[in-house]
Amino acid sequence: MLKEKYAKEIESLLARYPEDKKVSAILSLMHIAQKEYGYMSQEAKEEVADILGIDPTHVLSITGFYSLYYEEPVGEYVLEICNDLACALRGADEFIDMACQKLGVQKDEITPDGLFSIKNVMCLGACDRAPMLQCNLKFHEHLDEEKFDQLIDHYRQRAAEGDDRAHEVVDKILIETHH
Amino acid sequence: MSDLVTIFVDGIELQVEQGATVVDASKRVDVDIPVFCHHPKLEPVGMCRMCLVEIGMPMRDRATGEPVLEEDGSPQINWGRGLQTGCTVRVADGMRVRTTTDVVDEARENVIEFLLTSHPLDCPICDKGGECPLQNLTMAHGLGESAFDFDSKMQNEKHVPLGELIFLDRERCIQCARCTRFQDEIADDPVIGFHNRGRALEIVTLSDPGFDSYWSGNTTDICPVGALTTADFRFGARPWELIPVASISPHGPEGANITMSTRQEAKSGGRVVIKRIMPRQNELVNEIWISDHTRFVHHFADAADRLTKPLIRKGGVLVETDWDTALTTVAEKLQAAGSSAAGLSGDRPSNEDLFAFQKLFRQGLKSHHIDLAASRIAGGDVTAQVGIASGSNLLDLGRGDVIVVVASDLHEEAPIWWLRVKQAAERGAQLVVLNVRPTRLDKFATHLVHYPVGEAVATVRQLLGAAQISDGASDQIGKIAEAIVGATNVVAFYGYEGLTYAETDVLAKSLANLLQVKNSDGHSHVGRVNNGLIAVWPHNNTQGAWDMGIHPALAPGYQSVDQPGRSAAEIYSGVQDGTVQTLFVMAADPVGDGLMNGRGLLDFLVVQELFLTETAKVADVVLPAQSWAERDGTFTNGERRVQRYYPAIQPVGESRPDWQIIEQIGHKMGLDKPHFAASLVFKKGIAAGVPQYSDMDYRSIAKVEKQYPDVGGEDLYYGGTSYENKHGLGQQWTSAAESGDVAMFTVPDVTPSAAGALPVIRTAALYTPGTLINRSDVLSPRMAQPTLHLHAADADRLSIATGDAVIVSVNGQSLQLSAHVNGAAPQGLALINGVSYAAGVLDAKIETA
Ligand code: SF4
Ligand code: FES
Ligand code: FES
Repeated sequence: MLKEKYAKEIESLLARYPEDKKVSAILSLMHIAQKEYGYMSQEAKEEVADILGIDPTHVLSITGFYSLYYEEPVGEYVLEICNDLACALRGADEFIDMACQKLGVQKDEITPDGLFSIKNVMCLGACDRAPMLQCNLKFHEHLDEEKFDQLIDHYRQRAAEGDDRAHEVVDKILIETHH
Repeated sequence: MSDLVTIFVDGIELQVEQGATVVDASKRVDVDIPVFCHHPKLEPVGMCRMCLVEIGMPMRDRATGEPVLEEDGSPQINWGRGLQTGCTVRVADGMRVRTTTDVVDEARENVIEFLLTSHPLDCPICDKGGECPLQNLTMAHGLGESAFDFDSKMQNEKHVPLGELIFLDRERCIQCARCTRFQDEIADDPVIGFHNRGRALEIVTLSDPGFDSYWSGNTTDICPVGALTTADFRFGARPWELIPVASISPHGPEGANITMSTRQEAKSGGRVVIKRIMPRQNELVNEIWISDHTRFVHHFADAADRLTKPLIRKGGVLVETDWDTALTTVAEKLQAAGSSAAGLSGDRPSNEDLFAFQKLFRQGLKSHHIDLAASRIAGGDVTAQVGIASGSNLLDLGRGDVIVVVASDLHEEAPIWWLRVKQAAERGAQLVVLNVRPTRLDKFATHLVHYPVGEAVATVRQLLGAAQISDGASDQIGKIAEAIVGATNVVAFYGYEGLTYAETDVLAKSLANLLQVKNSDGHSHVGRVNNGLIAVWPHNNTQGAWDMGIHPALAPGYQSVDQPGRSAAEIYSGVQDGTVQTLFVMAADPVGDGLMNGRGLLDFLVVQELFLTETAKVADVVLPAQSWAERDGTFTNGERRVQRYYPAIQPVGESRPDWQIIEQIGHKMGLDKPHFAASLVFKKGIAAGVPQYSDMDYRSIAKVEKQYPDVGGEDLYYGGTSYENKHGLGQQWTSAAESGDVAMFTVPDVTPSAAGALPVIRTAALYTPGTLINRSDVLSPRMAQPTLHLHAADADRLSIATGDAVIVSVNGQSLQLSAHVNGAAPQGLALINGVSYAAGVLDAKIETA
C-alpha cells in the first residue's frame, strides 16, 4: 500500500495544496505509484484515486494523456524514440526498426532480460538534434546505429553494476518532499 | 437581471444579457450557429471549432476614445484577423457577428471534413441516424467528397459497454467532451473520462459498476453522434418511426417532464409499445435532464404479467370474470358495508383517480375511512399554507438565498431536486443541510449539521428558537438562524429519513414557523416567489393525494371533516380485530409491504391494480387498472405544479383507467354516470370540488411558452435530443400564504422513536426493489441490494465484517441483509438500505446469520 509505504512523502505532497485542491498532487502521486509498481497498474490507479478521494477513471484518464505514465509493464530502461516530423525526416522510422531488430523486440515489448522496452513518442522538442530518444528522462541525440550500440552497452553495464532503476523524476519528488 | 448589451448578428440588432456567448445570443434571433462541443447548459470549451464565425467590434479613436465613423456615419468595424469560436466569445456592446460569409462556410466545410476523416459513417445502422447532429450538419455543411483516404480511418471497437446501461461505439466519438463535462459539471459523477490523445482518444470508465451515475442516460441525449447509446434502446427502432407522446415521470415528487417514444411493431404483436423515454424540456421542473430511474423504469407498463381481466374469488381461487360481474359485486358489497367500508390508496395514481376514489367513499358511502396505504411523511396541510410560492423556480435561487434540507437524502429520494439544489449552491446560494448522517449534499453545504439520532425535531426547534430571538448568537445554530432570517429567499425541503410520521409533522410545522419569522424589513419567507416549504414526498403524486383528500380528516382542498374516519393504521388494526370488514385497496400493496397481515378478518377485499400483488392474491375481487402510459391524467408535483400526461399505448387487455372503474362502481351504487374522459373528471369534479384547482382545466395546464435555452428545435446539435415542450408546463396552485398572512402553526410535542443499543434507520436508494422497478430488467444489475451499513467500530463490537449475512429483526419482521463496513454509516448508527420502507429509528436486533 502506497499510503503506508510512502506515508511521509504523500503527506508532504498533499500539504502543498489547499484543502479543496488536493487533486493537484495527482501527477506526483502517480510518479510514486509508478515507481512502486513499475507501471500504472490497476492497483496503482485505485490507490492514487483513494488517496485523493476521486474516481479511478480520473487517474486512468491522466495515465493515458501523458506518455511518461505507462499503462503496461515496461523494461528497466524505456527507450522512447521520437518519430515526429523532424525526426522522421532524419530517418527515425528506420532507426526504430533497427533498434527493435537489435533488441529482438517489437515496439512496446520488453526484452526477455527485462532491461529494455521501446516506445514510439511524439516530438520531444529536440528536433534540431534528430533523430533522438529519451531513456528514463535522459535525452540521447544525433543518433545512429553506432551510438545506439554504445547506449545499449552502457545501460547493460549499469544494470550489471546493480543500478537501482533510474527513475530520476520520482527520486527528485521524493527528495524534495523530505524538506 | 444582468445588464443588456446590443449586438448585431447578420445585421439583426438584438439586446442580450452581458456574459452570454455569441452562439447562445444568436439563437435568440434564430440564427443557428452550428456547434458540436458547445452545449447551452455546460461551460464553453471551444474544442471542436465548428462554431467559427466572424466577429467585429466598433473602432474607437485611440486619442479621443470617440467611435470612428464611416463616411455614411455608421461605426467603422474592426473585423479582427480571423475567425473566432462563437461558443467561447462573450457578447460585448456594439459587437457585430457574421455567420454566413464565404470564409465561415469554408471553415465549417473544413471542420466537417476533418471530423469525418475518422468517422465510420455507419449511419444506416446507427441509432442516432435521423436525429444526429453530425449527420445533419454534414448534410448542411459537408463537402460531399473528402481529400482523406478511406483506408486510413481508425478502426475502433464498436460495442464497448460502459457499465450495464450505456454502450460506447469508439469510432463514432468526435471527442467533443460533452459527456465527460456533463458528468463532471452537472451530475458531479466524474466517472467517465478521456483516455489517450489525438485520434486514439476514447471514453473510458473505471468506476464500479461502470459508468456509475444516476444520470448516465443524459449523455446519450447530448452526445452529438451515435457514440453513446443506452442498453435499453440501442438497435431498437429508427428515430423517424417513433411517435413522441408527452408525459410525466411516474416516479418521484419532482414531476420530471418526459417524452415517450412509441412505435407500433410486429414483434410486439402489432401493439404500440414504448421504445424509450426521453426528457422533455421544462426549465421550471427538470430542465432537460432525467434520472436513469425515470428513463428506464417504464417497462412495467408493457410487462407480461400485467392483469388483463377482472378476477373474482370462486371456490377459494381467483378466476377471470367479466367487468359487469366484478363491478356489480364490488358495488353491492360496498353498499352493504356503507359507512363502515374503508379505502386505502397508493400515492401514484392520477388526481382524477384519487378524486374519484374519495368521492366514492365520501359521497357514495358516507365513509371517511380513507387514507394513503403507506404514509411516510406528513405536512400536506402545512405546504398548502406555506408551500413554495407559485411562480417559483429553483433555477432562480443563487447568491443571497438560502436552501435548507432536513432529514432527506435528495440524491436518492428526489434526484432532480438534488441537481437543482446543488446547482443553486454552485450559483452562490447558502445551503443548510441537517441530517443524522452524511449524504451527497454535504459536499455543497455552507452549514452542515449531523444531529444525534433522535434529535431532528429538537434541532429544528432550536433553530426556530434562535431565529425568533435573533440575539446574534455565534454558535452554529445561531449562525444558521441568522443566515435564514436574513436571506433574500429561503426554500426549505424536509424529508422523513429516520423519522416517524408524527415527527415529520412536527418538522413540517417547525420549519413553517421558521420560514414565517420576519426579518428586519418585515419580510418573511413564505408567500413570496422563490420562498416556501417543499416536502420530499415519496412518490409522484403524494401531493395530489393530499390535495384530493385521501385523508381521514381532510376532504378535497384540505377542508376538515367533522367526524374523521379511520387512519391507515387504524384500518390495518381493524382488519385484524374485525372492526373493518370491507376494504378497497387501490394501487397499493399493504400485504407485500408488511403493513397488513394477510386479509385478517375481512369479509370483503377488493384490489385495483396493475399486477397480482400479495394483497391482490388474497382479494375477493381484483380489478385490472391501466398504467399511466395507457391513458391521460394529471399528477401534482412537490412544488404543487399540476401537470398533464397523455396516452401513449393501447390498454393492456381489458384494463380500464382507475377513475373510470371507480365511477362505474359508483354509478351502480346510484352516483352520477361515469364521465367520458379524464378531462371531464378534472373539470366537473376536481376544479369544482378542490378550491385550489378552481382556475385550472386541461387547457390551462397544457399552456406552453418559449423556454431558454431553446432546446428541442430542428437544430438538434444545439441542445441534444431532449424534446421541446409542446404539451404543457403545468400550473402551480397558490399556497394560502400568497393571498395573506397565515397563522403560526401550533407545534405538537412528539417523542422520538426509542433507540436500542445500536439505533438503526432505513435509508432510501433510488433503485430500491419494488412492484414497478422490478419489471425493468435493464436496471436489475443496479438494484440496491438489501444491505446493513455499519461503522467500523460498531462492526468490530458486533464482530461483523463486510459481506457477512446478517439478520435484522424490526417490529417482528426479520430482514436478511448483507453487511457493509465502508464508511457510509456514522459511528453509533446502522443504516438499512435496499429494503422497502420502515419508519423512524428502529429498535432492531442484529445477528449474524
Ligand atoms: S462520446 Fe459523444 S459526447 Fe462523449 S466525447 Fe464522444 S462524441 Fe462527445
Ligand atoms: S520531431 Fe523528434 S524531437 Fe521534435
Ligand atoms: S468550438 Fe465552439 S462549438 Fe465546439
